[in-house]
Amino acid sequence: MIRMLDHTADVGFELGASSLEDLFEEARRALLMVVFERPPKEGERADTVRLSAPDRETLLVRWLNEQSYLIQDAGFVPVGAKIQIVEEAGGSGCALEARLTGAPLLLEEYGWQGEIKSATFHGLDVTNDDEGWHARVILDV
Amino acid sequence: MNFERVSEYKYRIPREGKMEVDAAFYASNEILEGLEAENYASLQQLANVATLPGIVEPALTMPDIHWGYGFPIGGVAAFDPQKGGVVSPGGIGFDVNCGVRLLTSGIDREELERRKGPLADALYEGVPSGMGVGRKDFRLGREDLEEVLVEGSAPLVERGFGEVEDLRHTESGGKLSGADPAAVSERAYKRGGSQLGTLGSGNHFLEVQYVDEIYDEEAARAFGLGAGRITVLIHSGSRGLGHQVCQDYVERFLEAAPRYGIDLVDKQLAAVPIESPEGEAYLRAMASAANFAFANRQLIAHFTREAFQKAGYDPEEHPLRVLYDLAHNNAKFEEHGGRRVLVHRKGATRAFGPGIEELPEEYRSVGQPVLVPGDMGRYSFVLAGTEGAMRETFGSSAHGAGRKMSRRQAKKAAKGRNVKREMEDAGILVRAAGRATVDEEMSEAYKDAADVIEATNGAGIGRKVARLRPLIVVKG
Repeated sequence: MIRMLDHTADVGFELGASSLEDLFEEARRALLMVVFERPPKEGERADTVRLSAPDRETLLVRWLNEQSYLIQDAGFVPVGAKIQIVEEAGGSGCALEARLTGAPLLLEEYGWQGEIKSATFHGLDVTNDDEGWHARVILDV
Repeated sequence: MNFERVSEYKYRIPREGKMEVDAAFYASNEILEGLEAENYASLQQLANVATLPGIVEPALTMPDIHWGYGFPIGGVAAFDPQKGGVVSPGGIGFDVNCGVRLLTSGIDREELERRKGPLADALYEGVPSGMGVGRKDFRLGREDLEEVLVEGSAPLVERGFGEVEDLRHTESGGKLSGADPAAVSERAYKRGGSQLGTLGSGNHFLEVQYVDEIYDEEAARAFGLGAGRITVLIHSGSRGLGHQVCQDYVERFLEAAPRYGIDLVDKQLAAVPIESPEGEAYLRAMASAANFAFANRQLIAHFTREAFQKAGYDPEEHPLRVLYDLAHNNAKFEEHGGRRVLVHRKGATRAFGPGIEELPEEYRSVGQPVLVPGDMGRYSFVLAGTEGAMRETFGSSAHGAGRKMSRRQAKKAAKGRNVKREMEDAGILVRAAGRATVDEEMSEAYKDAADVIEATNGAGIGRKVARLRPLIVVKG
């Protein structure tokens, strides 16, 4: 589930999913919806991303920042991801490995909508309840 | 939210809960209604800032306050290093030293109308905007780039990309001291190293304008502003390099803050003591990014001069002079109330009043030029710094109009319309990399800058000097 938020100065979205991995996949999709009017759906390129962080929130920020780096600075638009997340026992950290498929960056074709400066930690929480996993993210654009 | 009216345009939020000090904000009745409509979310952000250690009373916002992330936009906060004061990258923003530069000319509006189209094309071709790298005919090697990070605009001027006079009319001479390129990550170089001389996207722009109204003859004369004369306003920052600097250090500070016993009410306020290894490293990286931004606007000004020449304006006959270049996302050590403090300004302009030694001699008697862009369809303002700002706001003033619609709302409002054509019908030529940015940045998406100026002028934290109206808008 992706719900775009009306943030006055920047952009944001709320995410919901049945697993932590799916939540991160929704985050990838939401980022593409922010960057492009018509995000590509298929791609033939491949890449692997490995990230680690002291907590889930930092991992989510790093994941989004990695996506925007790939798009804006490497010209690789991640159109799909197979994500694995491993959390250390006792909440001492987490790690992500994602196999990405990607398309080349075509600004006009995808309806580029502007740069992302960064994902922020403002009001960011990754939570889990009976209904699944949730997160709310604000991006600086 | 608990606050009380202090004077016509000033309000106080008394210290409560985890707040270390009182907070204060400036607003007209219209601005106050806007704050209420957003359920005082930005005032809560201001109260959050007041919880940071070593903050000097009061935590402030300027009249263009709006909801940000961590700090509110329009936020000003000073921290005393002697009292455990902190530095917070979120109090400066991802776009370190985002700022504006105003160029003046002797060209009349009527004269410009004759070459408006070719000039708009030359500017759009000559000043890279949108996503991507700088011009192919301008590239700096790593060593030269590092020189820019240390020295700011000066190395570009030495290479012929501007005049020595440009530096004198740039805040801090276009250079923050203490920069160290080694404090900047490799990813920051990768993201921004090739972006010098680029506008970017979002709310960044280049506008050709004319002086529509003068309110203060003496200050306008000192600033070189004449009624009906053409000006150029450039709004950009430190591009991917600065964005990455902020990103890197917010994460480092989140890990470090607990070690210094700093309890964060919002993670985006991540902070460490100014006098700590982490704090000092950030200040070195931030100064590097700030210098990149000064140089970025210097190079854009050079490309602008080239474009005017290409459109037929002989640079000898029609020189473009830098009125002032200033930052509105920065942290600087300054003397206020007899002590040295680190003033964070996030979407706020340094606005030093008359008599301050650092100002160029010709501006010293009237105060620092304060440049307040409005929206692309209406107007921008030039103010002068005041003694009131020195007394009340750590020498700070407003930086813009502030949005009233989210980008999504603006796009909805633009559906079925051609905003670009509407602007052209109103006499404003638009050149933009994409339609999305023009829709998002439409005039109605912003508050009326005149409301911000009314509160700023009324509160005595900035003095109205002149109003500028757009003729050509270049957007990313």
